[in-house]
Amino acid sequence: MADPKAVGKAFVDHYYNTFDTARSSLASLYSEQAMLTFEGSETQGQQAILQKLTSLPFQQCKHHVATLDVQPSPMQGGIMVFVTGQLLTEGESQPLKFSQIFHLVASGNSFALSNDLFRLNYG
Amino acid sequence: MALPGQSAPDGVPSFKLVLVGDGGTGKTTFVKRHLTGEFEKKYEPTIGVEVHPLDFTTNRGKLRFYCWDTAGQEKFGGLRDGYYIHGQCAIIMFDVTSRLTYKNVPTWHRDLCRVCENIPIVLCGNKVDVKNRQVKPKQVTFHRKKNLQYNEISAKSNYNYEKPFLYLARRLVGDQNLHFVEQVALAPPEVQIDLQQQAAYENQLKEAAAAPLPDEDDDIAE
Repeated sequence: MADPKAVGKAFVDHYYNTFDTARSSLASLYSEQAMLTFEGSETQGQQAILQKLTSLPFQQCKHHVATLDVQPSPMQGGIMVFVTGQLLTEGESQPLKFSQIFHLVASGNSFALSNDLFRLNYG
Repeated sequence: MALPGQSAPDGVPSFKLVLVGDGGTGKTTFVKRHLTGEFEKKYEPTIGVEVHPLDFTTNRGKLRFYCWDTAGQEKFGGLRDGYYIHGQCAIIMFDVTSRLTYKNVPTWHRDLCRVCENIPIVLCGNKVDVKNRQVKPKQVTFHRKKNLQYNEISAKSNYNYEKPFLYLARRLVGDQNLHFVEQVALAPPEVQIDLQQQAAYENQLKEAAAAPLPDEDDDIAE
C-alpha cells in the first residue's frame, strides 16, 4: 500500500499547481459525487464543483503551503489531508491565510477526491 | 473604528466606513485615490483588512472616515461579520461594465444590513469612464427601492470622488447644508472622463428617477 504521507504530499502539490495554472482541469480529480464546502457554500457533484471553482472572479492565484498533515482514514485505503497556507490572487498586495481539508478515497490504482473543505482564516 | 496607532486628532469626529462589493469593482483603487489616507493606512492581518483614515474639511470642521477595505476575501465568498461590526456608514460598489457585479448588489446590501441596521449607504457605479458600459443609468434602480444614495463615479479619473463622502458626512452629522471647504489631495487622474457623455448619463438618471419602479429585485436582463 502506498505511503499516505507521500500520496498526500504529491496530491496537494498537484492540486494547487493545477488550481493556480489550469483551474478547469481540477474536475477530473474529484469523484462523481464529491462534495465541496468553499467558504461555507456547499456544492455536490463533479460538474457543479467545476462550475463553482471556475466561476471564482480571479484569473491568477498562487498557493503557498505552510503545513501539511496526513492520516490514513478509516475508510479502506482512504487518506485525510489537512493543509494551512497562504494564497495571493491578482491585484492584491496582502496574502490571505487559508485552511483546507481533503478526503481522498482509493479508486482503482489511484485516488479520487471525495470531500474538500476550504476556508480563509481571518476575522 | 481605527486600528491601533491610528487615532484621530482630538475633537475630530470619526466614523467607520465599510466598503463592500464584488472583487474587481475598484474598491481598492477608489480608496487609494485619497493621498493622506494612502500614506496613513494600516493593515491588520488577523482581520484581513486595510484601514485608510480619510480626512475631509467641512464648513463645520474636520471629520475623518476610517475606511475599511478587504484584502480580497470577497472573491471567495461573503465577508465575516467582524468586517461589518460597528460600521457607521457604507459604500456598496459595483462596476458599470459588469452586469454580474450589479446583480450581486442586493446580496451585499443584505449582508451589510444584517449587521449594521439603519446606517447611511451610498451605492456607487464605478468605471463610468469606460466606453461600452453594460449597466445603463436607467437600469440602476436598487437604490430607489432601499432608499440609498446613488453616485456614478470613475475612480481612475477622480470623477465624483467626493460625492459619496459628502452624502455620508451630511447624514452622519445631520446637516443637509454641510459642505467641503478644502480640496482633498487626490492621486492624479489616470484616465480622462468625457464630461459630455457623463452629462448625458446624469440626464438619463434623472429621467429614470421619474419613471415607475420595476417589480423584481433583480431586474437586469442577462
